[in-house]
Amino acid sequence: MKRLLLVLLFLPSLAACGSAAPSPAATLSAQDVAEIQAGDKFNDTDVMFLQMLVYHQKQGLEMTATAASRAQSPDLKVLAQAVQATEKDELSMMKSWLTQWKRPVDVDTTKSLHADHGGLPATGPAEIKALKTVSAAAFDTAFLNLFLAHQHNAIEMAHLETTNGANEAVKAYAARVRESRQGEVQQMLRLMNG
Amino acid sequence: MRRKIAYPLVALSVTAGSSLAVASPALAHGYVSTPPSRQALCASGAVADCGPIQFEPQSVEGKKGLRSCDGGVAQWSVLSDESRNWPAKSVGNSVTFTWVLTARHVTADWEYFIEGTKVATFDGGNAQPDAVVSQTVDLSRFPGRHTVLAVWNIGDTANAFYNCVDLNIGGGSPSTAPTASAPTSPPTTAPSYPPTASSSSWAPGVSYKIDNVVTYQGKKYQCRQSHTSINSWEPSIYTLALWLPL
Repeated sequence: MKRLLLVLLFLPSLAACGSAAPSPAATLSAQDVAEIQAGDKFNDTDVMFLQMLVYHQKQGLEMTATAASRAQSPDLKVLAQAVQATEKDELSMMKSWLTQWKRPVDVDTTKSLHADHGGLPATGPAEIKALKTVSAAAFDTAFLNLFLAHQHNAIEMAHLETTNGANEAVKAYAARVRESRQGEVQQMLRLMNG
Repeated sequence: MRRKIAYPLVALSVTAGSSLAVASPALAHGYVSTPPSRQALCASGAVADCGPIQFEPQSVEGKKGLRSCDGGVAQWSVLSDESRNWPAKSVGNSVTFTWVLTARHVTADWEYFIEGTKVATFDGGNAQPDAVVSQTVDLSRFPGRHTVLAVWNIGDTANAFYNCVDLNIGGGSPSTAPTASAPTSPPTTAPSYPPTASSSSWAPGVSYKIDNVVTYQGKKYQCRQSHTSINSWEPSIYTLALWLPL
């Protein structure tokens, strides 16, 4: 089911670019990702998940941009750049879905959501800002631990969506979030512990 | 699904207006990332076949006062399975434990035990901790291989989070004089990624460089952003940032 959906989403774009484009790089951009359609059937969880993740991913982009310039380990730098590139496209896609649904794109949902279960989320403005000022020697460890917590939070949000969401495209995307962030967590723990 | 609701204090703290049925991983909160706890070793893939704990290492939560690696949760019992031969990290006599917290609950305190003996306590002041908490413990009285039980006692619930961390203290030489020097890290065995091929089938765990070409489902793609591949980063419309169709 999920795979079928993915294939359906994937084919038109490939056909479009494969047939007419002499230079693929020129014709494929984040815009194409934003063209992935989610349809018009959705529930509150779908909206909340996207709003939460938009906010979360903006924070993530700030953090990975810092890491792309400050990371000491070449492997960490590569990981940060890859996460940055993929999440930038995901952000365009999520924003286009919310916009099509005529729902606000920029909502700070962290306070109310996390207050409900008694804790603050891992990353707030202060934590993110600290990454810019921590000493160069301490940067990798500081970033890895903070981003680890950040991506665990994304996995938790994805679980909410796959459990209670209604829209198939959003649920499929949430499953991808879970899988990719788990892969990132693996790489980060290995970078930390050898 | 895996949490039985039940502790009166938890129930009380939730009455503050929650209509949101939060799925259980959203209630998960924290673990020791380095030196790696057993759940961190499961999550990194360093120890295989751990079951679901690999997906939520921050979830080893149980009643306060336990002395078990699995927090008394049957689902996490692999963490108490000594037949697993958990790899022990070689460290100095002074060890800095780093906690990654995914939800920052007010904290009563943090406790460290070795074989039932308490070796350190850090007061949490019933305040909200940082997302990343580091604590340095002098373990010079315990040279050699030991399992440290690290416990995070939550301030406003009856629960705690449990981590077992297997260490080889003093770098493996029991007679080492106590020093506060940086832990000597052992020769690290890097994850053995398959070598990069210029054109091969896409696979997870491979280090791809810009311009590498892979085949995926019968089509060729060119890497446009260096990365080590993971599941769901295979070429698709979602990952155009990484792969361009040729």
